[in-house]
Amino acid sequence: MLDKNNCVEKTDEELVALTIKDQDFFSCLVDRYSEKLTRYIMRISASTREDAEDLLQEIFVKAYRNLNDFDLNLKFSSWIYRIAHNQVISHWRKTKTRPQVIKFEADEDFLKFIADEGDLALDTERKFAGEEVRRMLGKLDNKYKEVLVLKFLEQKDYKEISDILRKPLGTVATLINRAKKHLRKIVEKNNPESKST
Amino acid sequence: MEKLSDKIIRKIKDEKICPKPRWQFLLKDYFVWLVFLISLIVGAVAFCTALHVFFTNDWYLYQYLHTTFIGHVLISIPYVWFGVLIVFILIAYYNFKYTKSGYRHETYFVVALSVVGSLLLGTFLHTLGTGERIEEMVAASVPFYERITCCSDRKDVWDQPEYGLLGGKITNVFSEEDFELMDFNGFNWKVRESEETIEYEPLEIRAGEEVKIIGKKEQDFVFWAREIRPWKKKGEIRKTRIRAEE
Repeated sequence: MLDKNNCVEKTDEELVALTIKDQDFFSCLVDRYSEKLTRYIMRISASTREDAEDLLQEIFVKAYRNLNDFDLNLKFSSWIYRIAHNQVISHWRKTKTRPQVIKFEADEDFLKFIADEGDLALDTERKFAGEEVRRMLGKLDNKYKEVLVLKFLEQKDYKEISDILRKPLGTVATLINRAKKHLRKIVEKNNPESKST
Repeated sequence: MEKLSDKIIRKIKDEKICPKPRWQFLLKDYFVWLVFLISLIVGAVAFCTALHVFFTNDWYLYQYLHTTFIGHVLISIPYVWFGVLIVFILIAYYNFKYTKSGYRHETYFVVALSVVGSLLLGTFLHTLGTGERIEEMVAASVPFYERITCCSDRKDVWDQPEYGLLGGKITNVFSEEDFELMDFNGFNWKVRESEETIEYEPLEIRAGEEVKIIGKKEQDFVFWAREIRPWKKKGEIRKTRIRAEE
């Protein structure tokens, strides 16, 4: 029987190697990533926690089936996020229920990160209620929301976002800049005073 | 409530799910790379054939075809081969993007890599004469090829005696100055040479040889030849000799 304490000290990559030999080690990876991925799925798919967990099962089973395809040049987290991202998109395609408005659970964190970035240093947090922020974010294209979620909520760096979305670094940077510009426009539209700040 | 990790491990065990073997992924990766390489090579072959067509085109013909040089250049561009080149560059691009790390590169880099790869390899193949062999092979096996490519081998171009262009096969050689030629419609022409006639090497006036002639139609089925060129091996037309000077 696997002693879960063995997992704590191990890196993701070591756990992948161990899982190939003993499937019980996979539970360590699941424990490590299930909460993060549930949040991520909810952020990009507007799913309920129950739906996200159903999807999560499929994601982990898919990851397990494809463990031998894990590329050591990637971080395991990037790889599993990529699978999650693809699985969510594939779920959208199957059910044709791609959400028009994406729910952000951690609006305050998001705004804090945006503000930290500098060029969106609008005093948004005080001017808008959470619901309004959600509505404004909902006006962004999904491609922009996806990068904003990864950058500001999942706190992934450009390289990780590039690996997750399978896009070049330059494209990721462009998408993030455009997403911020679009968001700023939406914010300004909702609060004309912010133009002068 | 059962933990998610326990649920997943149970599912894996119950359904006897196993990681797919590594060789399957390697095979897929190698296949993508192979298709990328094949696309580069086919693109290169198309480019070297385009080079061959371009360099062996009868550029001088525009004077006889009542067109401008630019007009002639435009209809002489080997569009078919450039089309093939573009298609395979796109396939190469698509495959490169689907290699494991292909997504990390910007589109312009991947397109440039595919274009430069095909052009360099194509230029190399051109120096080996591959373009000529490919064109001959395609012309022999694809019935409509000559119709859609311009201009040297298009038989209809050399079937305009009223414009001074006549092509066909020598059937009889009567003397040093006249021979009989069957044009591409099966009509026999008496071809007359004179002291002004220029023959382009490697031409041999003998029965069975295919030639293209620039000259003047003197009367029905009698043609005066000012320039005679071998139908094929256009690339070897480098030296000229005036028969009368021999």
